[in-house]
Amino acid sequence: MTTSLTDRYLTATLRSVPAPRREEIATELRASIADMIDGRTADGHDAATAEREVLNELGDPAQLAARYADRRLQLIGPAYYLAWQRLLIVLLSTIPAIVGVVVGVVTATTSDNPGNAIGAAVSTAFNVAVQIAFWVTAVFAVMERLGTQLNLPEWNVDQLPDEPVERVISLTDACSAIVFLVLTIAFLPWQQFQSVISSDGGRLPILDPALWTSWIPVFLAVLVASIGLEIAKYRARRWTWSLVAVNAALNLAFAVPAIWLLLNDRLLNPDFVARFAWLRDGGLDIVARISVTAIILISIWDVIDSVIKARRAAR
Amino acid sequence: MVSDDVLRTHLQELRRGTVVVASLVALRRADYGYALLQRLTGHGFPVDANTLYPLLRRLEEQGLLTSEWNTEESRPRKFYRTSDAGERALDRMLDDLAAVQTSLAALIEGAPR
Repeated sequence: MTTSLTDRYLTATLRSVPAPRREEIATELRASIADMIDGRTADGHDAATAEREVLNELGDPAQLAARYADRRLQLIGPAYYLAWQRLLIVLLSTIPAIVGVVVGVVTATTSDNPGNAIGAAVSTAFNVAVQIAFWVTAVFAVMERLGTQLNLPEWNVDQLPDEPVERVISLTDACSAIVFLVLTIAFLPWQQFQSVISSDGGRLPILDPALWTSWIPVFLAVLVASIGLEIAKYRARRWTWSLVAVNAALNLAFAVPAIWLLLNDRLLNPDFVARFAWLRDGGLDIVARISVTAIILISIWDVIDSVIKARRAAR
Repeated sequence: MVSDDVLRTHLQELRRGTVVVASLVALRRADYGYALLQRLTGHGFPVDANTLYPLLRRLEEQGLLTSEWNTEESRPRKFYRTSDAGERALDRMLDDLAAVQTSLAALIEGAPR
């Protein structure tokens, strides 16, 4: 004999109902379903259609079982959600970065390859972030199911944020700008040691290695100062005129040496240029001209943008 | 114009608590799940089967209903009846419902429109 739809429905429902009450709920639910089917066949439906309709009406067995067991269908409910969210933000915004930096520094002291140190830092930070998110959520989900009391102090007005100043510079903007700057800084050692272009003597640096003792430290200093500017801007919540001045100075400090080096063919490694026929045969000139134009346009746009935003914020 | 969805949500909210009151009143006369469902629907309390059946068990666990198995008919049925504790709780709830009705009437009376 084949099992009826009702039998299968009962099995699916009772699977997640606490065992001591299973038998009784089964008997009652079976009778209720039979009553509902009878009610429909009395209206002229055939028995098979009536059974299907009744079970469809009762809905997902897992949901019905949750109602019998008085179980909430949520991972983290409103009682815990805000505590979970706040804890997660605090932990994720600090620990992965700290661990990443520590691992990066330790790797840099033991390995002669800066690329390794950066890779180790990024992957460790990512793993730590995933672990934190998983374990915090898992603990809160268990507390939700056990009904643990958090015993947090009641909220009162003393907990209001200090100044309700409108924030123009968002955290996302600041973070993405800093990530971009860090990647640019990382590019400088990477192109020296880990460049994709190899020659018989090993990896071929893209930038002229002679610059390490002259201009590259200047560029590094400007990039680090730019990170400082992003942080200062975030803390000030908006563009101020002094930030605009610093930004313009930093743009100049980067653009002027870069343009000068490009125009004098001193930026790229001569060995690197020699490896590409099209660079040797006049291509270098085109690359330099395009780069100079791009640097000028980007710098001017960046300064104008900061002036516009500072004027808007000053209003 | 308020959308139908919004209106439906508010009406559901309004009705939610009344299912318990209606069940406690109806079960002054003992009855089983499906028959109660029919009676409630017939008296203008449409309720889903998958809400009512678990609700009856919960009210029984809370002591507001008592139950008894009837095995005399063709299939065994569990009959629920409002308990003494259920009757006391029902009195409180009906008082409260009346108070809401009175307050609302006074509010409608006093409010300019």
